Amino acid sequence: MSAMSGMSVLITRRLLQLPLVLGLILTITFALLWIIPGNPMENEGRRPSAEVAEAMRRQYQLDQPGAFLAQYAARASGIAWIAGAHPVPFDLGPSMRHPDWSVNEIIAAGLPVSATIGLGAIAIALIVGSIAGVIGGLRPGSWSDGATQALALVGISVPSFVTGSLLLVLLAAKLRLVPVGGWGTPAHALLPMLTLSLPFAAYIARLLRFGLADQMQTHYVRTAMAKGLSRREAAVRHALKNAFLPVLSYLGPATAIAMTGSFVVEKVFAVPGLGRHFVDGVLGKDITLVMGVVLVYAALLVLLNLLVDILYAWIDPRIEIAARPQ
Amino acid sequence: MRWTAWIVGALVLVVLFVWEWNGGAHRADVRVASADVFTLDPQRMTYMQDLRVARALFEGLCWSDPDTDDVVEGVAESWTISSDGRTYTFHLRPDARWSNGDPLTAEDFKEAWRRLLLPDLAADYSELLFPVSGARAFFAWRAEQLEAYAKSERHSAEAAQSLWHETIARFDSTVGIEATDAHTLVVRLEQPVPYWLDVCGFQTLSPVHRPTLERFSRIDPQTAMLRTEPGWTKPGVLVCNGAMRLADWKYKRSMLLEPNPMYRGAHPAQARSVEIVPIEDASTAVLAYESGSIDWVSDLTAEFRAELVNAGRNDVHVLPAFGTDFWSFNCRPTMPDGRFNPFADARVRRAFALAVDKQALVQSVTRLHEPIATTLVPPGSIAGYESPAGLPFDLAAARAELAAAGWKDRNADGLVENAEGEAFPPVEMLFMTGNPRVRGIASALAAMWRDGLGVQCEVRSKDGKFAKEDLRAGNFMIARGGWYGDYLDPTTFLDLSRTGNGNNDRGFSDARFDALLADAERATDAAQRMRLLSDAERLIMEEQMPILPLCRYVTLYMYDPDRLRGIVRTPRLDQRLQRLHMSGGSGEGATP
Repeated sequence: MSAMSGMSVLITRRLLQLPLVLGLILTITFALLWIIPGNPMENEGRRPSAEVAEAMRRQYQLDQPGAFLAQYAARASGIAWIAGAHPVPFDLGPSMRHPDWSVNEIIAAGLPVSATIGLGAIAIALIVGSIAGVIGGLRPGSWSDGATQALALVGISVPSFVTGSLLLVLLAAKLRLVPVGGWGTPAHALLPMLTLSLPFAAYIARLLRFGLADQMQTHYVRTAMAKGLSRREAAVRHALKNAFLPVLSYLGPATAIAMTGSFVVEKVFAVPGLGRHFVDGVLGKDITLVMGVVLVYAALLVLLNLLVDILYAWIDPRIEIAARPQ
Repeated sequence: MRWTAWIVGALVLVVLFVWEWNGGAHRADVRVASADVFTLDPQRMTYMQDLRVARALFEGLCWSDPDTDDVVEGVAESWTISSDGRTYTFHLRPDARWSNGDPLTAEDFKEAWRRLLLPDLAADYSELLFPVSGARAFFAWRAEQLEAYAKSERHSAEAAQSLWHETIARFDSTVGIEATDAHTLVVRLEQPVPYWLDVCGFQTLSPVHRPTLERFSRIDPQTAMLRTEPGWTKPGVLVCNGAMRLADWKYKRSMLLEPNPMYRGAHPAQARSVEIVPIEDASTAVLAYESGSIDWVSDLTAEFRAELVNAGRNDVHVLPAFGTDFWSFNCRPTMPDGRFNPFADARVRRAFALAVDKQALVQSVTRLHEPIATTLVPPGSIAGYESPAGLPFDLAAARAELAAAGWKDRNADGLVENAEGEAFPPVEMLFMTGNPRVRGIASALAAMWRDGLGVQCEVRSKDGKFAKEDLRAGNFMIARGGWYGDYLDPTTFLDLSRTGNGNNDRGFSDARFDALLADAERATDAAQRMRLLSDAERLIMEEQMPILPLCRYVTLYMYDPDRLRGIVRTPRLDQRLQRLHMSGGSGEGATP
């Protein structure tokens, strides 16, 4: 089987699996949301009379879980639209807690924000992590290796609400280099990106450092050096590409995680991203919002994993793509 | 090939950046950090931050002047009240206009009030209109019809539509709200309601622009309910009649209000723009204020208060609110699992109330020095209402009450037992997790009761939704509560203890109390009515004690009084965004 046909088989199979995966995730999410006690219609403190409360439940069909799920799935998937029963395709419904907004609008507003921060964070992480990883991997055991590894450990261990708050106080409140929280200019994005990038950078640094150190011991690299390449040249021309493979497979899920938004980072910097909307949705039992965001998350994760598999084959043609376990 | 991939990736990033940085260059005259606004549909509002925006975007028939609490004219330029106090005739200003220039008519109010009374809308404040004759019956009828429709097999657009027409006809013929001409609205009440004008000033009774709403409304054939699509409150679509209009609104990002040129009586120093920025994290809000990008932090969460307040700054303001912080006693005869409930006995409830040193709580636990409370209605907040004294802090009296209920320390172990020698059951104290203030109060109360009365307490915090379930099911002995008044009348607090009230978590029921409230409803003399209400409060605050009041709620604002003007400081804190301005005139000095 040629690589190309293998790849099209993989892509087709994954795309065919997508609706099944999404349907399953949707049902599980809905069941979990159903188990959480409480009523999305209900607010803090004041509580409506029994008759009003009942009207609220009926308004969103919360008294008929089966019908609710079926109708939601039909509208979200576009089946209702194809059948002519609903005016728009892929309608995730109105948010239950924010009746002025449809879930589609909320996702459309939040996803670009989270994606910007996430992609920026991954880009920073890739650059910083690669440099640190190469420094360490070229000279395992040296002081520079120790220093970068120690920094990486700090990056992985310190939670982002600590680094975020620290950066906020130092760079925004004290030095006034960037605005405190909010969204609207590139300056607003800088600190959230930086904060979010740290754990990813640290992890990439560790992956690359160990990958590179291993590759430097292999026969082909030693051969290259024996033929006159310097250690650095051998690393950059030959070893790095293979050492980078584990980083690449990490990048798929990492990008998905970063793009879909970190609740903590978004809350600390008052950024209107999808992560915050999602957690607020769970806390408020906003069933339609949570289901909509989970659908988008799941689709994104499946597609990004597919993308990584394609990149994998492209970097290393020896990998038999269709045979790779998922 | 490889390079192209990198370039494509970089381009995606650049496009995202450009997409996201649209504007943000202008700074609004006044920037307010607030909790997130949920909805701009006036009939569906519940939250304080939503109601605050509604005050600027919409204007009702009349409103309470925030500085004096007097009712002043709004869209209605005058009104007459019939001699039996049951019929109100409002005369609307003939020149009243919507923000798009359309004339504002009595029909706009009628439609808004009908919306508020539709179970379809699931409005929290439907009950505000229940005093209107026929209103409660109309609500119940529509709810019944919808339920019957859902159960029936005849689901069709025609059937739903015909039910809708029937509903409108029924509203017109049975509910006492009538637009007799374009500028006259007549409201008939079931019985006189002394605070009715105050209710008419409440934001959820604001009018709606019918043509806009119509475009976004449809009758759902599945449920026969009136559905309003999310779009009608968006900038560029929303038509309003208040002093400001909606210039921009991005979900959980920012909301921009500007003066409404069609509004008749703009405040002379009104700001050219007010921006509302939702910042949930309290420390971020404070940092944003200190860096100058926020002018007013309007909803600070509890954990920050004491530190800020006690730092002695002139820009931190602690204002008593129209609300009372309290704990609830479970008054049901037994616990839900059938266990013995010692708090079914009013003597035990009084003993626990007498044993609380509230002064110590506000001084060393909350550290905010809130005014302590012995009653539910904040004293002095309602003209003509005299609060009862309530119960003081008196340990000896507390022990005597407990002993009278049969609980004494019979074996000198420091704990009380009943005549059979059984120890007082561990007191289950319920509250929601996540609020350090409440946790501190709970621990302090437990210590006071243990040391003062000789009972063991179990402090039990639960996540919001679970705590609410327990509250509703009566699965607690003592639980954290609290209440903010909605309108300027004692009943906004006293109704909580009515038998069967939706917010009566305590399961309290007392025929004498219910009778006093019923008598007050029928009373024609205002002073007599207030006396009856005062007697009712005395009954629950001195004798029956379903509720243990601790202190007045306070609200904490951060703003520089030398720069930001127009903030209301009277108890209801009924803010008018349209009155905010920076000192030195509109816009001046607004740049940080």
